[in-house]
Amino acid sequence: MAATITPLLEYSGGTLAREQVGLWRDGLRRLRRNRLALAAMVYLILLAIVCIVSLFWTPYKPNVVNTCPTYSLPGTPGHPLGCDELGRDTLSRLMVGSQISLAIGLITAAIVMVVGVGVGLLIGYLRGVVDAIFALVINVFYGVPPIMVALVLYVLLGPGVINIIIAIAATTWMDMARLVRGQTLSIREREYVEAARAGGARTRTILLTHIFPNALGPIIVQTTYVVPAAILTAAFFSFLGFGVPAPQADWGGMAQEGFSPLLSGFDPYMLLFPAIALSVTLLAFNFLGDGLRDAFDPRQRR
Amino acid sequence: MTRGTLIYIVQRLGIIVLTLLVVSFLVFVVVHSLPGNAFISQRVHGKSLQLLLHEYGLDQPILIQYWNFLKGAIHGDLGVSLYIRGEEVTPLVLRELSVSCELGGAALIVTIGLGMTFGVLAAMRQNSWVDYLLTSFAVIGYTVPSFVIAALGIMVFANFLGSVTNGTFAYAAVWTGTYGTIGELWLPALSIGLYTSGQITRITRASMLEVINQDYIRTARAKGLKERVVTIRHALRNALVPVISILGTTVVGILVGVLVIENVFGIPGLGKEFVDSILQHDYNVTVGVFTIFALLIGLSNLGVDLLYTLVDPRIRY
Repeated sequence: MAATITPLLEYSGGTLAREQVGLWRDGLRRLRRNRLALAAMVYLILLAIVCIVSLFWTPYKPNVVNTCPTYSLPGTPGHPLGCDELGRDTLSRLMVGSQISLAIGLITAAIVMVVGVGVGLLIGYLRGVVDAIFALVINVFYGVPPIMVALVLYVLLGPGVINIIIAIAATTWMDMARLVRGQTLSIREREYVEAARAGGARTRTILLTHIFPNALGPIIVQTTYVVPAAILTAAFFSFLGFGVPAPQADWGGMAQEGFSPLLSGFDPYMLLFPAIALSVTLLAFNFLGDGLRDAFDPRQRR
Repeated sequence: MTRGTLIYIVQRLGIIVLTLLVVSFLVFVVVHSLPGNAFISQRVHGKSLQLLLHEYGLDQPILIQYWNFLKGAIHGDLGVSLYIRGEEVTPLVLRELSVSCELGGAALIVTIGLGMTFGVLAAMRQNSWVDYLLTSFAVIGYTVPSFVIAALGIMVFANFLGSVTNGTFAYAAVWTGTYGTIGELWLPALSIGLYTSGQITRITRASMLEVINQDYIRTARAKGLKERVVTIRHALRNALVPVISILGTTVVGILVGVLVIENVFGIPGLGKEFVDSILQHDYNVTVGVFTIFALLIGLSNLGVDLLYTLVDPRIRY
């Protein structure tokens, strides 16, 4: 009786039942209707292109000093965004700075996703003592602002982009683990998981092929929010003077360098451009996150 | 207050004490294993360095050092500063705490004032231009970093306003004295408060929208009550529980804001001291600041949970 199943669609004549679509097509369709999220995506694609271009070409070498008089204002011939206190071209440094922000945001999010999902799945599935210990650790950990812990950790590890990423990931994976734990706790009670268990599936198979795919919506959404959070934390570090090591350009560090010319009142643009780049990027990731949440995780919609 | 509530408070205080112990121990160990120390930064070397390390007990095993720190901390003595040698940490940190509380308190007023007003207004005018304006404002508030808002504020109120009015109405961006003046306080407070008020606006709006469709709101309107009374006494009061539940997060947000903004405006509070003490390897001060932050967060979370019972008498512990 292999080929005798009649598709429901033909039968219903298109008026009673809606076309059945999967999570991905349904989500993408809803995402495409969200104009703000689309605009954010366009901006982020442009940013990615700028980032890739800056790997090979910038108008000037970003770390070469005295390409024009120091503190040149925007509009100086050949330097549309002016120069900083060492005469380095602001536009070139802004382009290169996108590498640091994107690297920190995306790699941190990737680490947080892998570690958080792994730990969350295990804790949610095993429950018992492991879960109790995790709850205690989380309670203690949330007793201080994570950014302070990350800062001390970063100072301990020493300067460098990789260490920033480690410090931020080490203090943000718990949120993801807590989310996945909650999802796992509810999904593991569903009938299909029970069926898989009754069928003799191994724990690993149940976790990876039954529970994980069904918790994917909230995981994607949470990951999108980790990206701007990591970029923001790294920018705070730079602004407090614990940033990426010196000549390397990053937006937080550029903003910090621009602060004293702003206070003295003669060149606000050194701060303005990196600040705008940073803020717009953060906004774009947040809008994309909101769009994804509405598209893939309708229950959490506010 | 019932007996159950008392037991609950005692339990929570126990967890706070546990948190303080764990946090202070971890930070103590981590800070002491940072490369270098306060004396090397001050170019003390050789024999005199050994003498100083011995005098401050820094040559002992880390566990003994922590035990000595704990013994002092129980009596309210957080040790002495290593950077300004001999300066007592406890009075130093308490003075800075009062400065940070001034700033944080002002930021909290901004947060709750702006956040709840905007949230209620946006909900009452749902899907109008007022709603769109206020919700966009909230989104911008919690995405744009606080130091950017502070910088824009300085640009507009110190530089632009100063040059337009020839310096008559200009914001003085440099904090003078320990506590500053209201004229200096408002911009730092606003920079912190805009971030946290964005969250409050969102929650208040969502919660109000849920409440205003309830039957008792229609009843209140049908009784002929004024719209203002319906909004504030009937709707807002019932919409408050979710708003209060994120106040704990708000306090953490304000503390992070204090950390950054104090360093922007040079305000002599805990946030500035935290960053300085790490740079100067002033172990006792770093641990002291961490401990006070942990205590503040623990107590404010407890306060938030007790506030629930005031707003919604159905919640009991």
